[in-house]
Amino acid sequence: MTEHEYDVVIVGAGGAGMRAALESSQRAKTAVLTKLYPTRSHTGAAQGGMAAALANVEEDNVEWHVFDTIKGGDYLVDQDAAQILCEEAVQAVLDLEKMGLPFNRTTAGKIDQRRFGGHTRDHGKSAVRRACYAADRTGHMILQTLYQQCIKQDVEFFNEFYVLDLILNDDPQAAEGKDVAVAGVVAYELSTGQIHTFRAKSVIFATGGAGKVFKTTSNAHTLTGDGMALALRRGIPLEDMEFFQFHPTGLAGLGILLSEAARGEGGILRNSEGERFMERYAPTIKDLAPRDVVARAMANEVREGRGCGPNKDYVLLDLTHLEPAHIDEKLPDITEFARTYLGVEPYTEPVPVFPTAHYAMGGVPTTNNAEVLRNNHDTIKGLYAAGEVACVSVHGSNRLGTNSLLDINVFGRRAGIAAAEYALTTEGHDLPADASSLVTDQVEKLRATVGGDGTERVADIRRELQASMDRNVQVFRTSESLAEAHKLVGELQERFKNVAIHDRGARFNTDLLEAVELGFLLDLAEVVILGAEHRKESRGGHYREDFPTRDDENFMKHTMAYKTKDGIRLDTKPVVVTKYQPMERKY
Amino acid sequence: MTTAESKAPEVEPLRPIRSGRSRNHAEQWSWLFMRGSGVLLLVLIFTHLFINLFSGDGVNQIDFAFVAGKWASPLWQIWDFVMLVLAMIHGGNGMRLLINDYARRTWMRKTLKTLLAVCVTTIVVLGSLVIFTFDPCPLDASGDLLPGVPTFCEDVR
Amino acid sequence: MTATAEAPSKAGEVPSFDVTLRIQRMDPDGTPDHPAGEEYWEEFTLTMHGTDRVLDALHKIKWDVDGSLAFRRSCAHGVCGSDAMRINAKNRLACKTLLKDLNPKRPITIEPIKGLPVEKDLIVDMEPFFASYREIMPFLMTSGPTPERERLQSPEERARFDDTTKCIMCAACTTSCPVFWTDGQYFGPQAIVGAHRFIFDSRDEGEWDRLEILNDKAGVWKCRTAFNCTEACPRGIEVTKAISEVKKALNTGVV
Repeated sequence: MTEHEYDVVIVGAGGAGMRAALESSQRAKTAVLTKLYPTRSHTGAAQGGMAAALANVEEDNVEWHVFDTIKGGDYLVDQDAAQILCEEAVQAVLDLEKMGLPFNRTTAGKIDQRRFGGHTRDHGKSAVRRACYAADRTGHMILQTLYQQCIKQDVEFFNEFYVLDLILNDDPQAAEGKDVAVAGVVAYELSTGQIHTFRAKSVIFATGGAGKVFKTTSNAHTLTGDGMALALRRGIPLEDMEFFQFHPTGLAGLGILLSEAARGEGGILRNSEGERFMERYAPTIKDLAPRDVVARAMANEVREGRGCGPNKDYVLLDLTHLEPAHIDEKLPDITEFARTYLGVEPYTEPVPVFPTAHYAMGGVPTTNNAEVLRNNHDTIKGLYAAGEVACVSVHGSNRLGTNSLLDINVFGRRAGIAAAEYALTTEGHDLPADASSLVTDQVEKLRATVGGDGTERVADIRRELQASMDRNVQVFRTSESLAEAHKLVGELQERFKNVAIHDRGARFNTDLLEAVELGFLLDLAEVVILGAEHRKESRGGHYREDFPTRDDENFMKHTMAYKTKDGIRLDTKPVVVTKYQPMERKY
Repeated sequence: MTTAESKAPEVEPLRPIRSGRSRNHAEQWSWLFMRGSGVLLLVLIFTHLFINLFSGDGVNQIDFAFVAGKWASPLWQIWDFVMLVLAMIHGGNGMRLLINDYARRTWMRKTLKTLLAVCVTTIVVLGSLVIFTFDPCPLDASGDLLPGVPTFCEDVR
Repeated sequence: MTATAEAPSKAGEVPSFDVTLRIQRMDPDGTPDHPAGEEYWEEFTLTMHGTDRVLDALHKIKWDVDGSLAFRRSCAHGVCGSDAMRINAKNRLACKTLLKDLNPKRPITIEPIKGLPVEKDLIVDMEPFFASYREIMPFLMTSGPTPERERLQSPEERARFDDTTKCIMCAACTTSCPVFWTDGQYFGPQAIVGAHRFIFDSRDEGEWDRLEILNDKAGVWKCRTAFNCTEACPRGIEVTKAISEVKKALNTGVV
C-alpha cells in the first residue's frame, strides 16, 4: 500500500475534473485521479455544442437562456443555480476560446453559434442560435483543450487509478448541524493492482455518469456511475436519480449518439409514412423540441405502428435535403458513424435512429459552489462534486442539449476554486489506520473467487440488468414495469454476492474491475427504479403511463435517496424557485 | 460566498523546454542536402550515362583513350568530381541514417559511423586524386609514350 | 418498448457467421501454461453477427470465455482512442472495424500496437507516447494582454489547421511508423500532428518554439514519408501531409 498526501484530490479527468484541476492546481497541491487516460474521458464524445448567450449571430440574452433551462427541466430546476449557469456561460465559452479551443467561426471571425433543441428566443417564440460549436466534435475539442492546459500547468495526473472508496471523518447521516468532513480517498492502481490511499483536505468528484445501467446507451463502457455509487454507499444521498435523459437520435440498435446538431442544422425526423411527425407533438419548434419530448414522440410513433424497418422499431433521421458540403462541414463525424456502423449513406438515405440512454440529470446533490450536501441543509466539509456525477440542480428533470458542456465548465471551475480555497484554510483529517481495508477486502474477496465456488458471471448479471432497465425503465414507465425491474434488481444483487471472476492476476486485472463496476451499477439501478416508482407523475425525462401528467402539488420537489442499513430511504428536497412559476410546458 | 469571483493567478511561465535532446539545425541541412543532391545527381548521372553509353559509338567507344579524352577537358573533370563528392556524401548520409535507425547500441553506432566516415573520405580522396592528377599521355622510363595512349598524344609531343 | 432485441442489430435478421480470432497474449504475472512475460498466440472461435465489430468479439471472449483477456476500451465508437490495436497487421480501432470487412473466413490476427512496451495482452505502456506529445508544447501561446472577448479568427484561418484538431491520441499513427519502431526517440507522427494543430493556428505565437523542437534530430527530419501513419489514422487525418507542411515551414521560414 502506498500513501499520498495532497491538498486537493480530483477524481475523474473529464471536462469537469480538468476544469477544476486548472483552477485548483494554481492555488493548492492537486492530484487528479482518473480510471482512464484523461483524453479518453467521455466529454470527448459530446458533439453538438456549448450554450451561451453570446449573441454573436442573432439577438439573445442570458434571461432567455435561464428561462429555457428552467422550462426545459420541467420546472424541477433550482432557479438560482440556472441563473448562475447561464450568467457564467458567456465567460466560460470565452475562457475556453482563450485557452485555444478552435470554435467554428462566423465570417466576421467571431465564435459561430447554431440552433439546438429547447433553446429559444424570447421565452419560446422561436429557435435561437445559442450553441457555440466546433463542427460536431465540440466535446472532443473541450477535452483536448483542457488537457492541453493541464499540460501547460503541469497538473499531476494519476492515470488508470480507480477510486474505490471515499473516507469521511464521520457518518454523513449524522444529525443536522454536526461537522462532517472529508479525509481522503482509496484507489486501486490498474497497472500493479496496488492499493493507494490519498489523504486530502478537499476531494472533488467528477466521475461522470452511469449510462451503463441501460443496454442501449450513448455512454462509454466505463461510465458505471462510480462516484455516485461510492457516495451512496458512504451514506451520502443521491438526488433525482429517476430522471434519466434518453437522447432521441441514437443509431438504431447500437445507441451511438447522433448529435442534436443534425436537427439544429436542418435534419428532420420521419416515421414510416414519411411524415414529419414532430409537427404534431411540438408545433412551434418541431424537431428542435427538448429531448424528452422528441424521444417520447419517437417511441410513441413506433408503439403506434409507424416505425420503420422490418421490425418497425425505429424512425428515420432525414438529412438528404441538406447539401453534402454543408453536412461535411458541420456534421462530419456523425455522418461517418452512420456509414461505418450501419452502412447508410446520409447524403442519400435517411438514418435509422431510436432513443438511447444518454445523461443522468440526477446525482450527488451539491450547492451552487459544488459543495456536496449530506442532507437538505448541511454540506460535507471539503467534499465537492461537478459534472454529470453532481446534481446542482441545473437540469431539473430534463437537460437541454449543450447545457452539459456548459455545466462541466461552470461548475467544474467553481468546484476547483472552492476546493482549493477550502483546502488552504484547514489542516484536514487524518485517514484512519484501516482506511483501505474495505477496498482491500473487496479486491481480495473477488480475487479469491478465481477457480473457487462463485457460480455467477459478471457479464450475465450485467446483461440481465441492462436488458431489464431498457425494457422497464426507459422512455415509458408504469408501476408494473417498475415493479418488475425492482424485483429483478433485487435478485441480481443477491446473485452478485456469488459472482466469480477469471483473472487472478495483479496487473491490469480489468476482469476484477468490471465486477466492481457491476456492483456500482446494481446499486444505482435500484435508486433509479425506486425514485421512478415513488414519483407518481410525469415530468421531463420521467414518464409514467399510469400518471401521464405533471403533478406540481405533490411532486414539485427533488427526490433524495439515502442508503441506510435497512435499504434505500427516500426523502424530498424543495425546489428553489426565484422568478419563474411553473407553467404548462408546450413547444 | 464569493468563490466564483475569486480570480485565479495568471498562469505565466511557458515552461522551458525540458527535453535533453540536442538542438541544432544539422538534421534540417542533412534533409535539405539529400533532396538537393538527389536532384543534382539525377542530372549528373544521367548525362554521364548518356554521354558514355549512347552518344557517338555507344558502349563500344569506352576505352582508355575515351576516358583520357574526357578528362582532358576541365568541364568533365569538374563534372566527375562533383558527381563523386555528391554521390559519396549522399550515400554516406543515407547510410548514417540507417545506422541511426538500426544500430541500437551506442558503441555499435559509433563504430559503424566511424567506419563509414573513413570509407567515404578514402574514396573521395582517392577519386579526386585520380581525376585531377590524371595524365592522359604517360611516358615509360625511357621517355617514350606507353603503348595504348590516345593518338592525340603524338600530336601533343 | 425496447430499443433493441438481444442481438445488436439494425433490424430483422442479421446474418451470423463463425470467426476465429488469433490474439497475441502476454501475462505479466504468468499463467499455469505460460511463464510471466512470455508472448504467445491464442485462438478463439466465436459466432458473431454482420454488424459486430472487432471490439464486440473481444468483449464476447472476455465476458463469456476468458475474463483474463486484457485490452483497453471506453467509448466504443471511435472517439476516445483507447482501443487502437494491430488487426491483420494494420493499426486500427477495434471499435471501428467491422468483422465482416476483414474476411472472417480467415483467422483475424490481433496484436498490441508496435513500438511501445507491452504490459499485458493488448495493453501497452502509453507513457512514452504521451511524453512526446507533452514535449511539443501542445497549448496555445500568446503574448500581450488577454482580450476581453474572443480572439478573432476567420473561417479560412480556422480551416488551415482543422484536419489536425481531429486527433484523438490513439497512437495508431505513431505505432505504425517504421521509423518509430526502430527509434523510440523519434517524436512520432502524433506529436507532429499535435504541434501542427498549433503551429498553423493564426492565434498562436509559439510556432517557432515548436518548430525549433521539431527541427531536432528526433523531429520531423526522421520522417521518411512511408505514409503508414496516414493509412492508419482512424480519424482520416492526412498525417504525412501535416508533417510535410511542418518541414516546409522550417525550410521556407514561412508559417
